[in-house]
Amino acid sequence: MTDNEKEHVYKEDEKNLLEWTVFSVSVLLILGILGYLIYQTVVYKPGSPDLDVTYVNDPSPHAPYRYFIRIKNDGQETAEEVQIEMVLELDGEEMEVAMLTIPYSPKQSTREGWVIFSKDPSEADTLYARVVSYKKP
Amino acid sequence: MSNNKPIAESIAEYAQGIVGGLLFSFPLLFTMEVWYAGFLAQPFQLLIMVVATFLLLLGYNRYAGMHPGTSWKDVVIDSFEEMGIGLVMSFLILLMLNRIQLMDNSLDEIMGKVITEAMFVSIGVSVGTAQLGNSAKEEDELAEEEDQQHTTAVKRGEKRRSTKFALVVLALCGSVIVGGSVAPTEEVLLLAAEAKPIHILFIALVSILLSTVVCYFSDFKGTDKPNGEPKLYDIVFETCLSYSTALIASAFILWYFVGFGGNGLWIITSQCIVLGLLASLGASAGRLLIK
Repeated sequence: MTDNEKEHVYKEDEKNLLEWTVFSVSVLLILGILGYLIYQTVVYKPGSPDLDVTYVNDPSPHAPYRYFIRIKNDGQETAEEVQIEMVLELDGEEMEVAMLTIPYSPKQSTREGWVIFSKDPSEADTLYARVVSYKKP
Repeated sequence: MSNNKPIAESIAEYAQGIVGGLLFSFPLLFTMEVWYAGFLAQPFQLLIMVVATFLLLLGYNRYAGMHPGTSWKDVVIDSFEEMGIGLVMSFLILLMLNRIQLMDNSLDEIMGKVITEAMFVSIGVSVGTAQLGNSAKEEDELAEEEDQQHTTAVKRGEKRRSTKFALVVLALCGSVIVGGSVAPTEEVLLLAAEAKPIHILFIALVSILLSTVVCYFSDFKGTDKPNGEPKLYDIVFETCLSYSTALIASAFILWYFVGFGGNGLWIITSQCIVLGLLASLGASAGRLLIK
């Protein structure tokens, strides 16, 4: 055997099609992610959370006075321990308050939940939902 | 080409990698703090994480991977593949566990979760390929024949593994794998906050003791060192090396997952030392695992 041939024997086998596929997909994936992250880093502006609460009446057989609540964070930062309250008012007096706590509301994401009243909301003249508090993660 | 590697062999290698990757990263895939870290992390933190993991993979593949003595080119290719597999696996598992919802979650949230988990999966894939792959393949290779070229390459690999730099790289990998599975949890902060100084002192002493024990046995017993008995200097040096690497790795993972914002210097130190107990075992045992 010549030196050249010996070299050839030891050398790792040439990569096959599968390995080249895995490699190229991986490279594309990683470059894509790096590009995405660099873009995000460049355009990143520090800011605070900004939560939007929407609700809709959503009764169920066991909870006739139930409301479905959706929280969307339009801000630049995640909000932690979000407290949402939904209030029934009659003649300016609070009839009932229902609370909902959400552990995290990530930026640009939506979280959903329900609140259930014991009194009939149709007896109230005012109904509103609002975010009471959240904390910086 | 005639000497293409058979497809079956590469499938087996990938399977080993995937199994290994899951073995090391399942605890983290099942930890909610890691999912949270995914969307709490700022883009630049994710970027640093990806780069740091890639460097770690390069280091690990260079010094401990399944092909000792390979060229940088192969090391780079392997690292890309491992990270790619890590990303895909992490995405699929998170999807299966319903931790990401393609419709409801923002791209930021999905990317954050997938990238954070993928970093651990890819390190796992790398370790898995090296650990599960070695035994079967090496026997085959040894049985084949005493190939001159092969043995020099193995020697080259062994020599490479014993440098101080290699020790640091392996210690880093070990600390990240062992420490990483605990760092995101609230318990580290809780332990650090509730510990009295005496507890922290003992944790530090025990970490150093563990490192010493592991360094002593992994390096000097069983291997044929020319002069037999280890020198005191070597033990002290390597213990310091692995403990300080473990502390640095702990600080980095803690910064990434929980952040130090608002914590006093004492709490930060305590957090690092508490996590350092695990990380130091990882750092020194990294070499045992890698042999």
